[in-house]
Amino acid sequence: MRPIFVLLRKDFANFFRNKAAVSLTFIVPFVMIYLFGQIFGVNRKDSGPTGIPLAVVNAGDHPAAAKLVAALKAEKSFRVISEFTNPDGTKRPLAEADLKPAMQAPGAPYRFALVLPADLVGAGSLGLKLRIFSNPRNEIETQTVNGMLQKTIFTNVPQLLGESLQANARRFLGDEKFQAFNGGIAQAVARGFGGDPAAIQRAIESGDFGAAAFGNAAGTGNSNPTADFFARIVKIESVQVVGANVKSPAATGIVGGWAIQFLLFALSASATSLFRERDAGIFQRILAAPVTRSQILWSKFAYGVLLGIFQLMVLFCAGRLLFGIEVEQHVVRLLVVCAFAAAACTSFGMLLAAVSPNAEAASGLATFLIMTMSSLGGAWFPISLMPEFIQQFSKLTLVYWSMEGFSAVLWAGQSFVQLLPILGILGGITTAVMALAIWRFNRSRIFD
Amino acid sequence: MLQLANVTKRYGNLVAVDGISLEIRRGECFGLLGPNGAGKSTTMSLIAGLRVPDAGSISLDGQSLVAGRADLRLALGLVPQHVALYTELSAEQNLRIFGELYGLRGAELRARIDEALAAVQLTDRRRDLVKTYSGGMARRLNLVAALLHRPKVLLCDEPTVGVDPQSRNAIFEYLERLSREGLTIIYSTHYMEEATRLCSRIGIVDHGKLHALGTLDELLARLPFEEEIRFPADAVTAPFAAALRPHGELTTAENAHRFRPAAAYKLSAFFALAESHGLPGRLFTSQRPTLEAVFLHLTGRSLRE
Ligand SMILES: Nc1ncnc2c1ncn2[C@@H]1O[C@H](COP(=O)(O)OP(=O)(O)O)[C@@H](O)[C@H]1O
Ligand SMILES: [Mg+2]
Repeated sequence: MRPIFVLLRKDFANFFRNKAAVSLTFIVPFVMIYLFGQIFGVNRKDSGPTGIPLAVVNAGDHPAAAKLVAALKAEKSFRVISEFTNPDGTKRPLAEADLKPAMQAPGAPYRFALVLPADLVGAGSLGLKLRIFSNPRNEIETQTVNGMLQKTIFTNVPQLLGESLQANARRFLGDEKFQAFNGGIAQAVARGFGGDPAAIQRAIESGDFGAAAFGNAAGTGNSNPTADFFARIVKIESVQVVGANVKSPAATGIVGGWAIQFLLFALSASATSLFRERDAGIFQRILAAPVTRSQILWSKFAYGVLLGIFQLMVLFCAGRLLFGIEVEQHVVRLLVVCAFAAAACTSFGMLLAAVSPNAEAASGLATFLIMTMSSLGGAWFPISLMPEFIQQFSKLTLVYWSMEGFSAVLWAGQSFVQLLPILGILGGITTAVMALAIWRFNRSRIFD
Repeated sequence: MLQLANVTKRYGNLVAVDGISLEIRRGECFGLLGPNGAGKSTTMSLIAGLRVPDAGSISLDGQSLVAGRADLRLALGLVPQHVALYTELSAEQNLRIFGELYGLRGAELRARIDEALAAVQLTDRRRDLVKTYSGGMARRLNLVAALLHRPKVLLCDEPTVGVDPQSRNAIFEYLERLSREGLTIIYSTHYMEEATRLCSRIGIVDHGKLHALGTLDELLARLPFEEEIRFPADAVTAPFAAALRPHGELTTAENAHRFRPAAAYKLSAFFALAESHGLPGRLFTSQRPTLEAVFLHLTGRSLRE
């Protein structure tokens, strides 16, 4: 036992000496979690970026456009600039022509601008004719701002989208058929859910598919049956993409997914350090002492599990600060799930080292497999967005089961007993993969 | 004290150690001399228990080492051929890890680390990362890391490869001191000067076989000549060298001929032949042959090949 402990401590000493490893394990995933949290709009009300200067030009007089401007002004992430100050101090509404000169000037007052043109809901194209101007400092910033803009638009004025669809339908079908079509739907809705067909038809034509409920899924106080009907349909899609009202699963997914992905990287790196130790002849020195080969392997395993638990818990605590994930109530169960997930990840790294001829091959293989498992397993985006046949492969990845475990604890608040199936699967993966790894190690040249 | 009987180790078809038998006596410094690939490291690893011989036995004080008993391992210390240290950690951390693996701890471990660092003049660099060390410093640390647990037998596998002369000297003086204090040392090298300086007995190995074993004098006595005569290799001496060839061993290296006369060949005959070729006596120097000559004589190859 004691050699395992000594070797374990040695691995931690090496780890904390290695700045690249520390940043890959903690800082990089933290940044990814932060960014993706912003992009998917799961930031807590009292955190996240605030007051990003955003110029808004409203060139038309569309009521929904005014509503969107109001929504952007209410959004804490943005500081909306909609007026232009003349040299003499008087103000006028900002115009599109003002944007480029201002944005290109040194010390630009804003680097992002949104233009809502007069033909906002044009019949020429599907969707909204929004124009976004940006002079970003980097790609990630653009993505972040775009994500926040999208979130605001989707959650506040989905009506605009409905309207755009309607405008296109009208152009495509012709006025008469269009009226008949909407009338038919209104009749059907009224028959099925009750309500006044004429009112429903008016609502549909204005693009209001129950949009009131869209941005506020919890508030089902809306008595309009049409609204409820469409709210239910739309909500199904919106859960994954927007996640404004479903903070925890989205945040849990983001934290868990990125944490697991980078844990896999860290642990593969640690397993491939076996090659470096071999090449340096260190195993000769260790094995000349009263230490066995399996003690070396189990020390690596124990190290991986401990590092994994530590990393996952640190990142979930970061998720607590960033997104308000409720960690405290579930600490013990979360620890258990983290331990199982870390064990599965460690065994993966060990197997990788066991089947690879050298460190380069191992890290190449690791990168490929980890990227595949992470995307398939849902670490990058929710797997419900993937085609169904691909979703079946998700279940073959340990990333998927780890994330299932995290959300079972943090989102569904499952008890120990309820967690057993997932723990069983993670434990099974660990056992099978470790058995394979040890079998391979005994045949490999790593200790020669 | 340490006995190897008919020890053989194969890597696939390659016989790396081929039926080596030898006995190492308590307190001696035993040299294993042979060129690269001779099987020195493999022999060391077999003694250290890192590999299991395919045939033969190794025993320490009558107890088989092959079984890999922990208490017997504690009697041995291995200095690997490569610098086997954690370069991202300090000297002190390295020594602590390896000391702890041998079961040392607490005040005793600290005392031994202090002592070890002082012995190889690394005390003031103890907290520096090994990767900042010079080759010689890393080698010195590599050496003392094998001594923390006070083994009875120290296995040094080419501990001076790539070392500056000053560090090499420091290592030699330290090993000589340990030897005087009674430590049994097995020292492998492909430098005959090292074997000559350090070792009381030397085994000459090549292609996994032990070709000869004995003290320096015993090994030199195996040569059929007692002198080695050198003279320049150039166009003037070429006919003379050709005429000399039937009378002994003639080798040429670095613009010099070295002639080792056959037992029956008289020096007077040599100089008569030189005179007949018009070569003056001052061209020739004679010296006592070295282990190099012994190796050449035994294997037909040069150590440096
Ligand atoms: N792990 C190994 N696998 C296969 N062949 C090896 C291995 N280690 C050494 N050899 C071969 O065995 C022979 C002896 O090697 P070694 O004991 O390292 O010699 P030395 O230490 O005297 O240079 C060499 O021909 C070498 O190529
Ligand atoms: Mg060697």
